[in-house]
Amino acid sequence: MKTRYRWTALMVPALLLWSSTAQARIKLVALPEREAISIRLDNPAATLIEEERVLTLQAGVNSVDFSWNGVSIDIDSIRLTPLDHPGEVTLLNVSYPPNEAALVWELSSTAAREERVRISYLLRDIDRLITYTLTANKEETELAMNSYLVLRNFSGEDFTDAAIMLDYGDTFRQSVGNEGTRQMLFFTKDGLALKKVWEFDASALPWDPEQLDENVGIPVRYEIANTAANKLGADALWAGKVRVFQEDGHGGTIFLGEDNIPVVPVGDEMKVYIGDSRDIVVTQRKMKEERANIRRNKKGEVVLYDTDEVIRAELENFKDTPAALTVIQHIRGQWDMDECNMPYTRKDAGTLEFEITLPPNGKKELVMQYHRRNIR
Amino acid sequence: MKTLRIIFLLSLLAPGLVRAKVDLVTLPKRDKVQLTIYNSADLTLVRDNRSLTMRNGINRLEFSWANTLIDPTSLEIMPKAQSDRLTVESLDYPPRTKNLGIWSIRSDVGDEVPMEITYLTSGLSWRAFYMGTLSPDEQKMRLQGYVRVNNNSGEDYENAQVRLIVGKVNIIDQIAELASRSYPYGRPQPPYRFEGRAAGGLYKAKNAFIAMDMEFAEAAPMMAPAPKEIAKEGLSEYFLYTIEGTETIPDKWSKRLPSFEADDIPVVNLYKYEEERYGNQVIHFLSYKNDKEHNLGDTPIPGGMLKVFRALTDKAQEDTPALSYAGESSFMYIPVGQDIELNLGAVENITVEAKLMDYKTDDYLFNHKGNITGWNETLTYQVEVKNTRGIPVKVEIKRNFDARRWEIDNQGDCGTYEKVDADTVKYTLEMPAASTRVFSYTIDIPRGQRED
Repeated sequence: MKTRYRWTALMVPALLLWSSTAQARIKLVALPEREAISIRLDNPAATLIEEERVLTLQAGVNSVDFSWNGVSIDIDSIRLTPLDHPGEVTLLNVSYPPNEAALVWELSSTAAREERVRISYLLRDIDRLITYTLTANKEETELAMNSYLVLRNFSGEDFTDAAIMLDYGDTFRQSVGNEGTRQMLFFTKDGLALKKVWEFDASALPWDPEQLDENVGIPVRYEIANTAANKLGADALWAGKVRVFQEDGHGGTIFLGEDNIPVVPVGDEMKVYIGDSRDIVVTQRKMKEERANIRRNKKGEVVLYDTDEVIRAELENFKDTPAALTVIQHIRGQWDMDECNMPYTRKDAGTLEFEITLPPNGKKELVMQYHRRNIR
Repeated sequence: MKTLRIIFLLSLLAPGLVRAKVDLVTLPKRDKVQLTIYNSADLTLVRDNRSLTMRNGINRLEFSWANTLIDPTSLEIMPKAQSDRLTVESLDYPPRTKNLGIWSIRSDVGDEVPMEITYLTSGLSWRAFYMGTLSPDEQKMRLQGYVRVNNNSGEDYENAQVRLIVGKVNIIDQIAELASRSYPYGRPQPPYRFEGRAAGGLYKAKNAFIAMDMEFAEAAPMMAPAPKEIAKEGLSEYFLYTIEGTETIPDKWSKRLPSFEADDIPVVNLYKYEEERYGNQVIHFLSYKNDKEHNLGDTPIPGGMLKVFRALTDKAQEDTPALSYAGESSFMYIPVGQDIELNLGAVENITVEAKLMDYKTDDYLFNHKGNITGWNETLTYQVEVKNTRGIPVKVEIKRNFDARRWEIDNQGDCGTYEKVDADTVKYTLEMPAASTRVFSYTIDIPRGQRED
């Protein structure tokens, strides 16, 4: 029967190494220290830990016992990679002792040697968040982006001098204890072009603000292109919480608002909803809704008719600067536009998008006359 | 109560789990503090300036905030000088320690460096309120605006520059909730999923601090030789009010400050009648415009409560006339150039009566069974408007019809007629003092198949 020696440190994955001959004569070879450790956070779903240790191997078959306590490792994710002599040090098999958080590797080595190996595994309860701080200039034409990596370690393990990395940005050599959180600035860029957009969506906002007891704000967002032309575009920007500030012209900033953003692929825009404008007011009314072209069946019941509809939207800008307002209108069903005083693009069967520039302290009126076909 | 604490630690050790012995170097005092307080959310941006004596190498700065409402995820430190020689390497929230953050700052400078710490806190709030004084003939109004700043943040702010933001910021997490977390960023939540935008969209400010009402006596702001000026400027979609000089606002105190004053604002006494909205009563509105012609228009006016008084005698006769209280109304944010309508409530001295005088149907359509499938409806209403007041007033009457198609014929002096939308019309009448006006309208409405 094979005897195994094992050393398990509380809360720390531990390695024990011995060589075994065919006669099951087992000899403790070394208790290798962890030489380097990295925490790789590029997959938001799981954190990959990689550590390097030097094993002192004997010629023949060696057993390495890897066990852990107080941490949660995905056992099927554990990999062992010989680094110095990959062709001569071979992993023969992996076995799992019953009812233990442990495994045993059998390694064959062509000679007695010191071999550096990398052990990789997915560790639970350690992850990262990405946060952004955007600071726009006073004119709101460009901004500086700071992106922070926040490492949350609740894995049960203390990490000392670990290399912490994402897929882009800086790599950090830091320590973080169990239940500790560490925030690091990993990416920073300034002079990024910024587009400010106001958007009125007729299906989401009230039509007649006068009838309400609170201000109806028109949502305002910043759009930042993740493109090479905009000094970005090398990588997708991670999802995370964005806080936006603006220079106040007095050496300080004000806080403009915050939003959660999804991943921004290369070529896309980071869209940050910062807050609502109360200096743009949209009042929309249905001025007409009448039936026409009615067809009846033999019983005199209506089977087909058109509705003639007129929508009038008054768009007011109370700011002393022009504003680029996007107006989104929705028309259900089968429809034809009879008359519209502004150009639009059809985003889908029932969605119309207008790009309207409002003059400073001025207003415009959007009038759409259309008929809808109704079948009963 | 002073609960913010900054300890400047010297550590020549490599950044690591160094939480053991450290040398306390200085406990730097706050040089300057600026508060930017929001009113649409329970949120204040604090900018705290201190001079720190840096040493070459890694400097560790411990910042603790027990008993405050600071959002630890918002903490930032920035050198205000020699920034190219200082690098903020990380901010560590050590395990099992609440309300503590440690910055590691690498410095090539061995000198005193001004640093700025910024963070968001909950617990400070402000609101605007107003007092209006109408002239005896109610044609003009003097408007005085005030702001009241409440400090319930747990921290005393001495000699702080106070700035107030008017505007609606988008907020994902409430600062008070972030401040009360056991761990600044929470714990990992397996399985990972991206947390989308906050449900329901906008965060609505909670008036958590309204209950506290330890207002300074009027004497407080008056102790200064002259009332403080408030500088106003627009930034992005918001408006920034900066109060002159500095203010000391201890925890649990609040402070009232005058924000602006405008005199001789021409106002219109507008009376509205709309059965579907107000029932059978006339509502008194005071209306004016936020523009130069009304001695306003420099800045938007933040929403708030306006208490309206009426002077019983003219200013020319008496400097401090006796007042009568006309009513109060809260109003919303008013952009520059927009009309203001203040709802002062129902009145009885202006009356509107709309009576149905005639009703008839004709032009019937019958189906093959002999049943009626369509007809025309004709209704005649008479509207009588009475102004029993001794001043001229403006009366606005809205009528709504439950019909898609209709034709109207107005008779008599109905003032200015306007079709508001597909089923609403409006009559606006200028009524001299103590006058009565009667007009009629007839409306034809096709019903049933006649609609088609």
